[in-house]
Amino acid sequence: MTVTFQLNGEDCRFHGDPMTPLVDILRQERFLTGTKAVCREGFCGACTVHVDDEAMPSCLKPVGLVQGCAVTTIEGLSSGNQALHPLQAAFEADDAVQCGMCFPGMVMSLSAFVRDNPHASRAEIKAAMVGNICRCTGYERIVDAVAVCLDQARKAGQLVEGINV
Amino acid sequence: MSELSATVMNLPRRDAQDKLRGRTKYTNDRIRPDMLHAVLLRSTVPAGRIRKLDVSAALRCPGVRAVATGADAPGLYGIGIADHPLLAIDTIRYHGEPIAVIAAETEKQARAALAAIMLEVEPLAPVLTMAEALQPAARLVHEGWRGYEVITEGGARGGNIAWEAKSSRGDVDAAFARPDIRIVESSFTVGRQSHVPFEPRVAIGSWEDGRAHIQTSTQVPWTVRNVTGRVMQLAPGRVRVTVPPVGGGFGLKFDASIEPITALLARMTGRTVVLENTRQEEMATCLCRENAEIRIRSAVTAEGYIAGREAVVLMDCGAYGGEQVFLTTMTAHTLGGNYKVGATRLVSRAVYTNTPPNGAFRACNGVYNTFALERHTDEICDALGFDPMEFRKKNVLGDGDLGATGQVFEADVLGPMLDRMDALRVRTGTSEAKADGRLYGIATTVGTWFVFVGPSAATVNLNADGSATLVTSGVEIGSGTMVQSLPQIVAGQLGLAPEQVIVREADTDAAGLDVGVGGGRTTVSIGAASVAACADVREKLLRTAGEMLQTRPEDLVLREGRVEITGRPGSGMSIPAVVAHAQATTGPITGSGAFTAKNTPAMSGCAMGHFIDALDIPVFVVHEAEVAVDPDTGHVEVLAYRVVQDVGRALNPRAILGQIQGGVVQGLGYALHEEVTLTADGRIAQDDFETYRLPLAQDVVPVAADLYEGAPSMGPLGTKGAGEVPILAVGAAIGCAVARAIGKPVRQLPLTPPRVLGLLHEREPPPEFPHIAPGWASNTLC
Repeated sequence: MTVTFQLNGEDCRFHGDPMTPLVDILRQERFLTGTKAVCREGFCGACTVHVDDEAMPSCLKPVGLVQGCAVTTIEGLSSGNQALHPLQAAFEADDAVQCGMCFPGMVMSLSAFVRDNPHASRAEIKAAMVGNICRCTGYERIVDAVAVCLDQARKAGQLVEGINV
Repeated sequence: MSELSATVMNLPRRDAQDKLRGRTKYTNDRIRPDMLHAVLLRSTVPAGRIRKLDVSAALRCPGVRAVATGADAPGLYGIGIADHPLLAIDTIRYHGEPIAVIAAETEKQARAALAAIMLEVEPLAPVLTMAEALQPAARLVHEGWRGYEVITEGGARGGNIAWEAKSSRGDVDAAFARPDIRIVESSFTVGRQSHVPFEPRVAIGSWEDGRAHIQTSTQVPWTVRNVTGRVMQLAPGRVRVTVPPVGGGFGLKFDASIEPITALLARMTGRTVVLENTRQEEMATCLCRENAEIRIRSAVTAEGYIAGREAVVLMDCGAYGGEQVFLTTMTAHTLGGNYKVGATRLVSRAVYTNTPPNGAFRACNGVYNTFALERHTDEICDALGFDPMEFRKKNVLGDGDLGATGQVFEADVLGPMLDRMDALRVRTGTSEAKADGRLYGIATTVGTWFVFVGPSAATVNLNADGSATLVTSGVEIGSGTMVQSLPQIVAGQLGLAPEQVIVREADTDAAGLDVGVGGGRTTVSIGAASVAACADVREKLLRTAGEMLQTRPEDLVLREGRVEITGRPGSGMSIPAVVAHAQATTGPITGSGAFTAKNTPAMSGCAMGHFIDALDIPVFVVHEAEVAVDPDTGHVEVLAYRVVQDVGRALNPRAILGQIQGGVVQGLGYALHEEVTLTADGRIAQDDFETYRLPLAQDVVPVAADLYEGAPSMGPLGTKGAGEVPILAVGAAIGCAVARAIGKPVRQLPLTPPRVLGLLHEREPPPEFPHIAPGWASNTLC
């Protein structure tokens, strides 16, 4: 079977078993190894990608189900020499990264979350992280960085509104 | 500018951006389409004899390029004792043990060919527990144990006891016979803990110019080199190991395991071969923190003086001795640490069982011995009516006090740290109000650990652009030493900015011997070797500059990229100008340095079978936990957590605080819900993320931490390793806090809700160890 979808803004065509997990195509055929296959059962979130702007684990996504969809991986979030996504910049600024293997998935999950929840509380941020496991950091610094990122976005938003008025 | 002020800073990580962008290539991101894929045939019984192993049909399967068995790699490896084959030879000793390996063009083809291997195994009755293994008539897990090569002399061995270490100081019998003491005895049991690094064990092997090259996710490139040499019966120098960024280790990758198999297959096929554990394999054969059984007795006077103490610690090494052989040493320093004790004797035994081999895990041995010692201390306080905090303040080790092996501790450290915890608690306040009707408990505990020093080497090349290249066998496993503390140290020594220090990743062909990344040693040992290499560089640099400036070298300093005349900022010339001159006149400027342990002695006759007689660099912690226990469900919520940690000198305080948060959370998992159990057929029951419950964001609290500086250390600039120790006293603090909350003795971890409910309703039987003899001496081999 042939499956056609958008991958990081470009056409991508896959010939083969439509039940193949999306993560395997990303890593093994497109060499987009930023998407990590850690548990392969949907618990850890390290393989999270955006499918039509929604964050979801690519290990549980048969490629047949992304026919016609737009898939964005961590490599597509800020490609080339583009500036980091504000969330990535907040993680870097806060020295949140350790081994780093959970972070591409963490960034993909939480970038969708901050987009949809600009007023999220700390408890809501933690609740949103239920599907992203980190073995190194003990989480709090990640939560701190998300809170900083939201705060900056709100301030920037207020500034823009102020100028508009 | 002093050397210290040029070194201490919150340097950000240079690897953060690539890690955040998904560009970092860990070992398992380097798999290319032209590589062969290897898969292992693993045992499905815990014990047996291989009656037939015929791989000829598998060799004829589509895509298969090679099949290897134990006969292809006959050498044995191990730490202390060489008891471990790469692939089972004749005997199967654990469920999941590798028996054969297939390399094929695709992983699918390799897996399909597994079914074509003809294997006949005669099952044997497995020895699954230490209690069974220590029965007088127990079947021997290693029938041929007497014939194994002993790599390190000194430990007593016998039958299913892989190794025994003892420490003995003073007249313990006399202490227990005193009329003015009371005897308190406690027993504890703990299960295994699985590391769960996000990158599993994985290796890529090739055969180049008659030598093996292994790229792998390891903490110990030199161990992988040496073990590969042993099992393949090659000179170790014919093996090169390089290490890309490692996706987490936590001690799991402190031993060789599957890596040499890739070299073997590469030699057989002439192709590059990748072998990566599936998550199921990784967890089912995890070299876990060992399960342990501890009995401890103390003789204490009414005034609160610990006149005597004795303990028996049984450590399950699983099917092979591995790290546990070494770790028996640690009991003297962990269970034997923390407190002033009159006379003491401790025995620690690594016991063979037909279960997956155990290994090293962050603060190995210390985590459960600290839990046992601190809970025992609270039981002493309960029995004799002491306030637990006052008892600790009175009895913690201080200047001139003796450790279990007779080591003399320097300086008062734990006492002032307890005072600092009092101050920290005042600053943060307590969280009892958050218990909201549940059972509330708070406990302050102490812990003793060490920096595992040992040999390291470093080379520094000073370049004509003013940068310096640091070449070591260090590995970046996530803790930041290679991207923060080491460039900071080198920059501080040479008057450079840390960004100007290039840090080479480990390559055993490029750098000298190193013990590996573990035990909190990298900043100390590689750091010290780097300081020595920088001294060599400085000497050459200043000599050249002295000639150029017509100034004596001792009147010159390195500051902000310049060689300056002391006291005259802006004088002299830039470092690149001096380097360029040297290159043209005397040759490139390069320096080398080396470091190893000073091997602090034990008191004569006090340490037997020990790999480390005394601690060169002790490290202390004070941990405090506040918990709320739901009496209806048994759920334990951690309300607050505080740490005072002895860091010697904090080179990068922000990075250390990150290590503390992460280490404490791993400890919370161990204390509360990370549970490994073995099935009736000796399999690890929790082999995926559904059954093994890791801490999640909603389980954790921000740790309030105070870094205690100034305790003596032989580390560079007075530093101590800071990444290993944050997990040390978490089981202790949580165990003691829960015991106080529920008013019942806690003697087992993890404190899962069913176990806590069992304790509350007195349905949880206390641990009993019929296989530990009542008399201490009866638990020793000689």
